[in-house]
Amino acid sequence: MQNVYTVSQVNSYIKNMFTQDFMLQSLYVKGEVSNCKYHSSGHIYFTLKDQKGTISCVMFAGNRSGLVFRMEEGQQIVVGGTVDVYERDGKYQLYARQITLDGIGLLYEKFDMLKKDLEERGMFAACYKQPIPRYIRTLGVVTAATGAAVRDIINIVSRRNPYVQIILYPAIVQGEQAAASIVNGIRALEYLGVDVMIVGRGGGSIEDLWAFNEEIVAQAIFDCQIPIISAVGHETDTTIADFVADLRAPTPSAAAELAVYEYGQYEALLLEYRDTLDGLLKYKMNWYKNRLDNIGLKLKYLSPANQIREKRTYSLKLEEQMENAMEAILVKKRHFLEVYIEKMKGLSPLDKLRQGFSYVSDEEGKTVSSVESVEEGSLLRVHVQNGIITAKALGKERVEWN
Amino acid sequence: MELEERELTLEEAFEKLEETIEKLQAEDITLEDSFKEYKQGMEILKYCSDKIDRVEKKVLKIEGNGELNEF
Repeated sequence: MQNVYTVSQVNSYIKNMFTQDFMLQSLYVKGEVSNCKYHSSGHIYFTLKDQKGTISCVMFAGNRSGLVFRMEEGQQIVVGGTVDVYERDGKYQLYARQITLDGIGLLYEKFDMLKKDLEERGMFAACYKQPIPRYIRTLGVVTAATGAAVRDIINIVSRRNPYVQIILYPAIVQGEQAAASIVNGIRALEYLGVDVMIVGRGGGSIEDLWAFNEEIVAQAIFDCQIPIISAVGHETDTTIADFVADLRAPTPSAAAELAVYEYGQYEALLLEYRDTLDGLLKYKMNWYKNRLDNIGLKLKYLSPANQIREKRTYSLKLEEQMENAMEAILVKKRHFLEVYIEKMKGLSPLDKLRQGFSYVSDEEGKTVSSVESVEEGSLLRVHVQNGIITAKALGKERVEWN
Repeated sequence: MELEERELTLEEAFEKLEETIEKLQAEDITLEDSFKEYKQGMEILKYCSDKIDRVEKKVLKIEGNGELNEF
């Protein structure tokens, strides 16, 4: 019969083996965080895993000083500590004393720390942001002399406004010397006095873009008196440089569009202003011309010449009226005359002669109208309707007819 | 004219143009003043035109020794 042991005895035996193993007492294990739980007691429980296996880990509250970031699922970390057995469960665990981010994770950690630090120092504050001038003449570009970024910027600037001078500082944008090179570029272009600067590069991994997360670059951007547009990577990449720059562009192309105004639009604006000015002055002059015409007309009306002409016209009118009145009177009188003529006709002596009356005259033709004008024996002429009878006055006698 | 005394930015020049236009639009401006304003407006426009050096630019590159050469 073999020896029979209790569970506790076995667990205790194994624990003892672990404790005596030198390597297990202090080792570093790297892997991905999963099932991470921050317990209310201050202990942190999590599992470290790689493609093939997992190991339970715990960090006790007392060791929390060994962890300076917030652990999250999926992070690549390096855990320093001891592998030991938890006798109650018969499980071995990694007891963490120190946890750091591994590789990329480390970069993210540095990024977050610098971001927090600079933010606290106010370097991202809106009050330090310089406005980007709307109309620039020289554009400084700090980026690699080869690569898509500089080509994109040149293309867009020459399309929008070929009269803008681009000055390129060919910077190293990746690797050990990148940060110093970018800082030099910013200073060189500031010294040259460009109007606006674009600082950036094309897309890449966080390691590729790392120079733009360095503090010296952030400081150089912050210190620069010339407005800086950051243009690092793609839209989704955000670097410290983006936070500290006066304006963040999602891409180098977008930065070029933000920095350089479109010449065509500017020219159209100038023309519009000119037309407005011309139009307004023409309008003004027309208004004054009309006013002048009006006043001239009034003045003309009041002039002596016009007054004389006016009077003359009036007198002509009166003259005509007078003539008309005169004419009317003449017509009327003539009419009366005709009426009289008719009346006179009725009174003609010839009619009397026709009725058998005669008209008597003496030999000289003088009318004989009384007895006294005739001598006895004198000749008388008796005018009848169709001739004259010569008669002799044989006697005369006075008669009172009435 | 005051333009020469201090270099106006284009933004400022455009602002001045807006002011000039506003004055020209006023009902009570005298003919003399409107000529003056118009003249000033035209000068600003010319200034705006002149300010842009209308020569197509070659991209320049700063060399290590600080010299500028064509890129």
